[in-house]
Amino acid sequence: MSQGLDNLKHIVVLMMENRSFDHMLGGLKLGGLKQKFPKINGLTGNESNPDMQGNVVKVSPTADYRGQLSHDPDHHFPGVDLQIYGGTPFAPGRTANMQGFIKSYATQNTSLQDSHAIMNYFTPEKIPVLTTLATEYAVFNGWFSSIPGPTICNRAFAHYGTSFGNVDMNMFLVPAATRQKIPTIYERLAAGGHSAKLYYYDEPSSTMEIVNLIKDQSFFGTFDEFMADCKSGDLPEYSFVEPNYSDHPGPGGGQLLATDQHPDHHVLAGDNFIGKVYDLIRINPDLWKSTALLIVYDEHGGLYDHVAPPSCIPDGFQAGEAATGVPGLTFNFDRLGIRVPAILVSPYIPRGTVVPGTEDPNGRIFEHASIPATVSKHFLDGNDAGTPREQQAETFLNLLGDTFRPDNDCVFFPKAMKG
Amino acid sequence: MAIKDAPVVDIIEFDKKEAYNHDRPISSLIRTQLVHLHHAEHIVVPEKKQTNININMLLTERQASDYIQKVTALLHKHGKVAGKPTKKKKATSKIRSKKAVISKKTGGKSKKTRPAGKKRTSRK
Repeated sequence: MSQGLDNLKHIVVLMMENRSFDHMLGGLKLGGLKQKFPKINGLTGNESNPDMQGNVVKVSPTADYRGQLSHDPDHHFPGVDLQIYGGTPFAPGRTANMQGFIKSYATQNTSLQDSHAIMNYFTPEKIPVLTTLATEYAVFNGWFSSIPGPTICNRAFAHYGTSFGNVDMNMFLVPAATRQKIPTIYERLAAGGHSAKLYYYDEPSSTMEIVNLIKDQSFFGTFDEFMADCKSGDLPEYSFVEPNYSDHPGPGGGQLLATDQHPDHHVLAGDNFIGKVYDLIRINPDLWKSTALLIVYDEHGGLYDHVAPPSCIPDGFQAGEAATGVPGLTFNFDRLGIRVPAILVSPYIPRGTVVPGTEDPNGRIFEHASIPATVSKHFLDGNDAGTPREQQAETFLNLLGDTFRPDNDCVFFPKAMKG
Repeated sequence: MAIKDAPVVDIIEFDKKEAYNHDRPISSLIRTQLVHLHHAEHIVVPEKKQTNININMLLTERQASDYIQKVTALLHKHGKVAGKPTKKKKATSKIRSKKAVISKKTGGKSKKTRPAGKKRTSRK
């Protein structure tokens, strides 16, 4: 066991909303950065998609913080199927070509010109916190959303290791008896004598885990409590942090901006929020040396990524044609969703670590079931049975090495703390 | 060594007042959250304490967040904590509650109901 693992007492997961890997981090491979970060599987600048008139539209470094995606890109199952297969009808053996993103965005009442915005990406200097952390610690080339579909079923994989056969937004459609057969990672940790908490931002933003909230509210806290727990060092062994999902009034007449980065929320509000979560851990010396922070996005939100999602072992559930909305397609949960940004932070991770993905024959494929898999492996010694997907999922703590990077080698975002 | 020795990276500051828009129409994500909370409210919160807000009328982030705040607070007040016993409701109040809901939906026409959880039995 490495020194980093020996010292690891806390795992914190911050799950953001709806941005693809290429949209946020793809620019790290372009221009002069190609020499600096050659292993990052980002964009070459030549990737393209056809629009509705057959024009070839290349990726463009013109992503803006808000305003370009005011029509929410489709990220439900049929829409993602179109994005991945370019409109080829379902048939066994069809090939994923990642050619349907503009076609899909055109279905959302966008003009021809506006539909091209789905190919835009951020240049690294526009989102300094995310890109700094990606290059200062470990970035995953092969972290995929668990399902080619929307938020709730993908987040379920982070909490349960499965979505119980769901490919849509409604976990309440899953019979309670079925859900109760598979406990959450929070319940499993508690049963093993460990502490766990899901911190939502505040009550007006609340949580996306309402099924869990009504099951046992003792696992829930607010971001104010997260800040206090970081300061006091009383953070649970496992923490899951949710960002603010809406612009809403704050205490004392203030205004709180959404920090989730869901289109069309301001991307910088989310970038600064990521910096704040990092800083809260970073400034407490005991917490810093004993914590691993994973920053990951729940799904791609309909935004372009060039890497075809790989197949995976079936989940043991099926979603029939009526659920998938794709003629003829019964989904066996045997293919992952589109690639998302994922970054692991710890002072025991060497600067510039790039975890290879599908581009490398020896690459490693991660998905959201990797979260409960890693947490249970570390805190429950692997003695805790997970779902089939969780049991097969890659775990990420072996990225923590023996060498502790000193303070003068680990960045800090002082202004993020003021936000 | 301390945090003061750490290399500093600046975040990008922006005009938060200009960015703030609580009148933004809600996304499908927040619409789903409303539906889930509405469902949870009816499962967990006693009928007399429910908000009686029609979530279909909530169109902006501000309107949604007002409702989300109210129901989240109610769920915390009336919800479960594992390991702590919950108060048992009298069976009669459950029946009355369900009848009242049906009464509203059907415009007061009474309908025969059975207590929740009780299985239908075949008539002989």
